[in-house]
Amino acid sequence: MNVAANEKEVKIDTAYPYRTLSYFVEDPPTGNRVDRFLEAFAVVLQYTDYKSLLDSYCTTNNKCNRCAVSCPVYQVTGNPRDIPCYRTNLLLEVYKRYFSIGGWFKSRLSSGIELTEELIDEMAEVFYRCTACRKCSMECPMGVDHGLVTRLGRYILSLIGISSKALKVSVREQLEGETHNTSKVPKVALLNTLDFLSEELNDMFGVKLDFPVDKSNREYVFFCAVSDYLMEPDTLMGNAIVLYAAGDWDKWTIGTQNYDGINYGLFYSDWHLERIIQQLVQEVTRLKGRNILIGECGHASRSAHDFVPMFGGKEAYPVVSFIEYTLNCLQNGKIKLNPDIVTERVTYHDPCNMARSGWIVEQPRTILKSFVRDFVDMEPKGRANYCCGGGGGLVSIDEIHDFRMEIAGKIKAEQIAATGAEIVIAPCANCKKQLKELVEYYDLPCKVMGLHDLILTAIEIPNGKSAVERKEEAEMFAM
Amino acid sequence: MDAWIEFAKGPLFAVSFLIMILGLGRHLFLQLDGLVRRKGRRLLKAPWRKIFTDSLSWVIPVRHIVDVHRTVLFSVSSYIFHIGVIVVPLFLADHIILWERLLGFHLPKIGTLLADVLTVITIACLLTLLGCRLFVERQRGVSRVSDYVLLVAVLIPFLSGFLASQPQLNPISWRAMFLIHLLSAELLFVLIPFTKLAHIVLFFFDRISQVHWQLRPGAGDMVSETLYGKEAKV
Repeated sequence: MNVAANEKEVKIDTAYPYRTLSYFVEDPPTGNRVDRFLEAFAVVLQYTDYKSLLDSYCTTNNKCNRCAVSCPVYQVTGNPRDIPCYRTNLLLEVYKRYFSIGGWFKSRLSSGIELTEELIDEMAEVFYRCTACRKCSMECPMGVDHGLVTRLGRYILSLIGISSKALKVSVREQLEGETHNTSKVPKVALLNTLDFLSEELNDMFGVKLDFPVDKSNREYVFFCAVSDYLMEPDTLMGNAIVLYAAGDWDKWTIGTQNYDGINYGLFYSDWHLERIIQQLVQEVTRLKGRNILIGECGHASRSAHDFVPMFGGKEAYPVVSFIEYTLNCLQNGKIKLNPDIVTERVTYHDPCNMARSGWIVEQPRTILKSFVRDFVDMEPKGRANYCCGGGGGLVSIDEIHDFRMEIAGKIKAEQIAATGAEIVIAPCANCKKQLKELVEYYDLPCKVMGLHDLILTAIEIPNGKSAVERKEEAEMFAM
Repeated sequence: MDAWIEFAKGPLFAVSFLIMILGLGRHLFLQLDGLVRRKGRRLLKAPWRKIFTDSLSWVIPVRHIVDVHRTVLFSVSSYIFHIGVIVVPLFLADHIILWERLLGFHLPKIGTLLADVLTVITIACLLTLLGCRLFVERQRGVSRVSDYVLLVAVLIPFLSGFLASQPQLNPISWRAMFLIHLLSAELLFVLIPFTKLAHIVLFFFDRISQVHWQLRPGAGDMVSETLYGKEAKV
């Protein structure tokens, strides 16, 4: 189904050469960037394990173009510079020329590629025109992981000072700031929000719940995308009420030293990735917690699940996604969801970091199908689902809003329109932000919610208002 | 001419085959070394199950072809091409003798008719692949010279081998055709380790490249420290 934005004039400059970057860079590097790039590349190769990977990719990349037709960006722009294989090849050619014997030999025989200032500009632009969704990697017959190469390219660029200002400022606050979180939410604001949520839950369910803060020796230490505390109260209330209904209210806690699951290091830097994971693990150790419970956030789930075992050392706590936790409660009969509440047509968006690069595909569908009457899947679905268009940290870069809407998210908008759904479920803070903007941009007749927002409306709890009562109250309030 | 054929069959064949084996062996060694020495125990934590099922889905890649349906022609011909390119050179009756002389053991052989049909199909597939590269714009846009050269380099031994075995179709003398067949096959042997044809062995390492998400603990710190000193800031 085709979608079109109404009466909007958008100009996206995709002309090559990329003289100006489409995103802001803090203190862009000047002078001889070529030497610094090569120096950074050499140091990265020295200390990390990417060398054998690049050796293999350099030799085998086949240019078969299956990646092109699975890439949501290329399918919209038709610009050959957006083909994943082309983008990957930029970095591979530099590697081959400067770090392999064959490349050195070839450069003596003929004038092959040279790393130039223009090439650095091009890399800086194209590596941030990719949402790192890794759909192309799934369709590469060789198994070349373009997402991994894009990430490596961004890492080397960040070492010479080229990275998105939005991401960098957030990471700086998380690692070196006072609040230790990306949205700069101070502890006081967190406590106020939790009070507010507690009152809301009281109004809604008629039960008084005090959020457990800084409690020691709990089963779960909870981390969500910190922006949820500002923008997604329903998701958090949904999380809380599941914990209450399952009888686990005294088994979890929120830490006040660090309550942010976001890890932008996953998108552009090994260094930040590791340090943020260590910070997360420290907080669990401080609270003597036993498990890390990650709220509805795609890349937080993936980075914790994949990298806590790697960087956590002896303190590598098990990581549980909230979706898994809820499914477990549902299957053990610890929570009940009323199947008569949600009458709208519902569809589910797979966050890339949960499905394709993660392990959460069927779990949310099982939960949804248990209480939603009219559930439809997108086409394609599951691990083959398209990216929302805001992956790889792009959603946090406000200045490329038009790119995310017109190009990266267009296929997603068409997918949603084709389902005819009234509610789109996206259990990821980034996807939700992007999809809400998309729905508004293309005037799609649906609303975007988190999985636990929907559970919040349908859950039945002991000694509280029933789901039907709550629905009636909400409808009266709406009138 | 006979002397040339003898030379191509004997020393030249041995040398080119040796270059291929040594070249591929070097790739294999470097990759295994890179994985084992750099990754070490972290290899055990890689998502092997996922890697294995992903790779298995390419053995009969119906889903991949249906999902990415805009590349059907390329995908199907490339898949069938690989069957021909593995089966014919290894199991053709005339080649069996060659392998036996070189390796000392006996491979099973396929019938002449099957071999002929497979060869024709392989040649057709090769031409289709070449056509895709030439006429599909997005593919032409990213293709390098070597992508075309290698297709031709694979085509010549197949074409010359087929013509040499079909006297009624052969426009030139059998000996000349046979010599072309020998020399082009030997050229291919030499090209294999130095070009993308090295995916004969590197393919396996590409497929498991998800293990490279198993990052090295402390590497990020070392990189920043080396470039910006201990006081490196975000």
